Amino acid sequence: MTTLSRTTQGPAVARRGPARYLASAVLCLVLLALALLASVMFGSKATSLSDVLRVVTGGGDEYLRTVVESRYPRTALGVLAGLCLGIAGTLMQGITRNPLAEPGLLGINAGASASIVAATAFLGASGQRETIWWALVGALATGVLVHLVGTAGGGGSPVRLVLAGAVLSAILAAFIQAVALSRPKVFDTYRYWVVGSLGGRGFDALWAVLPFAAAGLLLAVVLAPGLNAMAMGDDKAASLGISPARVKGAGLLAATLLSAAATAAVGPIAFVGLAVPHLVRALVGADFRMQILFTALAGPTLLLFADVVGRVLLRPEELMVGVVTAFVGAPALLFAVRRMRGAS
Amino acid sequence: MKTAERTEVRTGTTAAVPARPAGRVLVRVGPRVAIPVRRSSLIAAALSVLLLLGAGVATLTMGRLGIDPADLPSALMGEATGKNAFVLNRLRGPRLVVAIATGAAFGLSGALFQSVTRNPLGSPDVIGLSAGSGAGAAAAALFLPGVVPVSVGALVGAVGAMGLVYVSTGTGFRNPGRLVVAGIGVAAMSTALTQYVVYAVERDKASALTAYINGSLSARSWDDATVIWAVLLVCLPLAALLARPLGIGEMGDDLSTGLGARPDRTATAAVLLSIVLSAGAVSVAGPIAFISLTAPQIAKRVTRSGGPQLVMSALLGALLLVLADLAAQQLPLFDDLPVGLYTMAVGGAYLGYLLLKEWKRPL
Repeated sequence: MTTLSRTTQGPAVARRGPARYLASAVLCLVLLALALLASVMFGSKATSLSDVLRVVTGGGDEYLRTVVESRYPRTALGVLAGLCLGIAGTLMQGITRNPLAEPGLLGINAGASASIVAATAFLGASGQRETIWWALVGALATGVLVHLVGTAGGGGSPVRLVLAGAVLSAILAAFIQAVALSRPKVFDTYRYWVVGSLGGRGFDALWAVLPFAAAGLLLAVVLAPGLNAMAMGDDKAASLGISPARVKGAGLLAATLLSAAATAAVGPIAFVGLAVPHLVRALVGADFRMQILFTALAGPTLLLFADVVGRVLLRPEELMVGVVTAFVGAPALLFAVRRMRGAS
Repeated sequence: MKTAERTEVRTGTTAAVPARPAGRVLVRVGPRVAIPVRRSSLIAAALSVLLLLGAGVATLTMGRLGIDPADLPSALMGEATGKNAFVLNRLRGPRLVVAIATGAAFGLSGALFQSVTRNPLGSPDVIGLSAGSGAGAAAAALFLPGVVPVSVGALVGAVGAMGLVYVSTGTGFRNPGRLVVAGIGVAAMSTALTQYVVYAVERDKASALTAYINGSLSARSWDDATVIWAVLLVCLPLAALLARPLGIGEMGDDLSTGLGARPDRTATAAVLLSIVLSAGAVSVAGPIAFISLTAPQIAKRVTRSGGPQLVMSALLGALLLVLADLAAQQLPLFDDLPVGLYTMAVGGAYLGYLLLKEWKRPL
């Protein structure tokens, strides 16, 4: 892992004029609107733009209403998950100064999976409504545990945190597979959950995780100026009256809350948390206030488009959004590898 | 192998300051080859062999179906009958023989790779070989069921994943940083494909596939044993040839170029050899986790010396896998789980222990 650490931010926050921000904002908003529209338009039953507009404005027949409105929950979940994963990735990449940092590294995915598996196997939990709570508990508990192990013995560098996440993920993976393989029913719950999908979930999944997502988001917004100061180096930040340790701790807590909320609601989804911060940084520069704002627009856009692609590609079957993001994100990463400078 | 050993005579009489590198023993093979070996390494290797023998005997004798220890010598001489013959020739014999060679192949593979990347996390499973083989197995099970055996799918997947990593780094296998990042990408794609297949096929098939993808040694045949031993016996001498240049390479590219080595070529050869070993092991046993990562690390700590500990890594890899498989067969916890789960749990715990130990020192 040490070979990967590379500073993501330059020493100074790049100056960007208001005109550029405005143009970027308009671009992101238009794309998000298109993504939202596409998400309610496309599916196993294709509907036309005029149909969708008729339903949205309160018209349309019964059948049409059912079809279009059934796409509302997954669209809302896509917005929430994309936002959460994107901002969690921004925070983690900023704090660990590792361009490859993403929410999965904190052990969130493994923790949520392990909790679901344990609850279905030993406590008889079943159904979406129950497992979502277990996923949330497991994700948060693992996040805290990784943090405790990573900072054990004082210090607590981000590299340690990521390694602690990897270790804990491996041990939890063994547990998950052992339990799942010896109990067919648990195995079914697990294999359907672990692909990561926006479909088959209702609004209650959204309401269940919303408080955690909101808390994480609020914390991220509050921390943005501190993170900006820290981009100049811990010493400079300290001289500005900011405690780097506290900002790091709070930032990782926010990242944990956000990714736990997203993972509990829709399952593990790869690459959104990794890719969106890079795209946004290319667009608006290193200012964390702008990064968070634009990630909140770009994350949902990316996830919704990926979901639409998954719905259209194998029609009338459906490819889960987690598979789509992996197959879009991984090649992008492979192309980026060639441009890595002097990594050894 | 006939070896004549000769302890080097130490000049000087006072024992306080040895005049030569202490504890070197020359291992001679014929009149031309003489390999200096540290005595502590030799002892460690002998101990590992003994432990491996013990674990092997335990594998054959323990449990309800075990061969009575009193009958074991005669059974091994080919006089086994009835139940013993079945256990030895069908049930546990091939499984044990496969476990030894597979573990050794993983260990050796990891030692070669870590020596090149100079990073304990740089092992073939980290750069996507395991995930690739899993995806290959899954794709074979979904798209060509019954046409392509799952193990062939795994082999194709492993080689394909490595090819993809090779192409996408742009510098081949020489830049460890790029290698690891490309590995992450390839692994992510492979895992997504595997998960989709496990989601899409029916439960029994998905369950069998998952067991295979975790790495399992149950129901191995003598054919499997032949395959992996052939791979191992071809690769071992080649690895031995690389040991010295690799040791020099660990001092850094500049210094080793100055010493007349060619670090680039050595690195590429070592990585290719490492991939062949891992791919061979994966095709008979599935991607068993953490052996290639931990065996070289333990070898380094046991022998307390620098340089790639190729032989020790292979021995320890075999020992680890045989022990894990013994646990998989005998622990009453779960019924014959894939051995890969045990190595994953133990390897993860060991890695955690290493980290905690490292953390006592400031980074």
